[in-house]
Amino acid sequence: AAGGGGPGPGPGPGPPVPAAPGRAQVFTTVVDTFLEKLAAAGSYQRFANCYRCFYKLQPEMTRSIYDQFISQLQSSIKEEIQEVKDEGNLDVLFNSLDKIVEEAKNREEPAWRPSGIPEEDVRSAMVPYLLKHRSYLRKVLKEKEEENRKVAESVLAGRDRIAELQQLIEARKHAWQ
Amino acid sequence: MSVNPMAYEAQFFGFTPQTCMLRIYIAFQDYLFEMMLVVESVILKKLDGFPGCKISPFQIRKSTEKFLLFMKEHFDKLFSKMEEVLLQLVLNIPKNVLLPEDKVHEQYPYSKEQFQALQDEIHQLQKQYRAEASAGQALRAELEEQKAVRAELEKILQWFDGLENICREHGTGNFKESFAFLTRNSKKLQDVLKDVEEKSKKIKKHDQLL
Repeated sequence: AAGGGGPGPGPGPGPPVPAAPGRAQVFTTVVDTFLEKLAAAGSYQRFANCYRCFYKLQPEMTRSIYDQFISQLQSSIKEEIQEVKDEGNLDVLFNSLDKIVEEAKNREEPAWRPSGIPEEDVRSAMVPYLLKHRSYLRKVLKEKEEENRKVAESVLAGRDRIAELQQLIEARKHAWQ
Repeated sequence: MSVNPMAYEAQFFGFTPQTCMLRIYIAFQDYLFEMMLVVESVILKKLDGFPGCKISPFQIRKSTEKFLLFMKEHFDKLFSKMEEVLLQLVLNIPKNVLLPEDKVHEQYPYSKEQFQALQDEIHQLQKQYRAEASAGQALRAELEEQKAVRAELEKILQWFDGLENICREHGTGNFKESFAFLTRNSKKLQDVLKDVEEKSKKIKKHDQLL
């Protein structure tokens, strides 16, 4: 099964999948979930615990530094993801792949994959052109044969006519002797 | 552990999914480290505003390392789960899916022998066509020759007909007959001439005797 039909791996960042969401959606959700869980792990309690001495000294400042840290981290990560998506034109590719997968949903057998040997794979790519070429050749050959048949008829008729003329001339010749 | 090169996916996306994941991982990790350094430097700066406090930069560094180590562990775990999902659900092409650009392989799965047979058939057709083309040329060449020959023969025939017309015009009907008539007449004339000669000879003799 394609798309989001499979189960998410363990208690990880697998989002609940009602009706297979598109790849773009899954991508976004997965990244958001990652960030959520990361922020949850690196919680303020944990932060304050590590920087205990400073926290004791300046609790409010600690809080504000932490908030900025987390929000800056998340926005940098989201920006990076967006850059990757833009560079690779991923949204378009994801949608197009979703469509392709949807169209193939009724096929069960594994599809063709490149064999790794270009000479073999290029054969099938050439076949449609060869087939076209073959049918073109068959057509023009037939036309040529038909054309020649007609010309051959004219040639034979011409030979008869010439023989006829030769006979007439012979006859005249004899008449004058 | 067998590594799936994900070459078909690379064909579609223009990059290998694993490379994409690696790039993202490195970028994320860099941000994490960067942010931690910023946090540390901000805290140190703030501490400068408290000259009396007993907190040393060394302690702060230790705190930073502690927090960073913790974050890194979770980061790696969470990232590897995310990577798994992305590689399985998003950046993958299911086994039963054929990309549209590869449709020909499904439509025309020709074996080496079938392909060779098709090529041979095409060569054969080309040979036949060339043969027909030259046969056609030869036929048309003969047709041209025939035209010339026919023209000559017709000219001769016309000449004969012209001759007959001339004779007819001059009233001698059949030249053959006239020729024969001429021949007979000249013979008669010759006979008459002979007669006249003999008769005149007789008369002369008579005259001599008288």
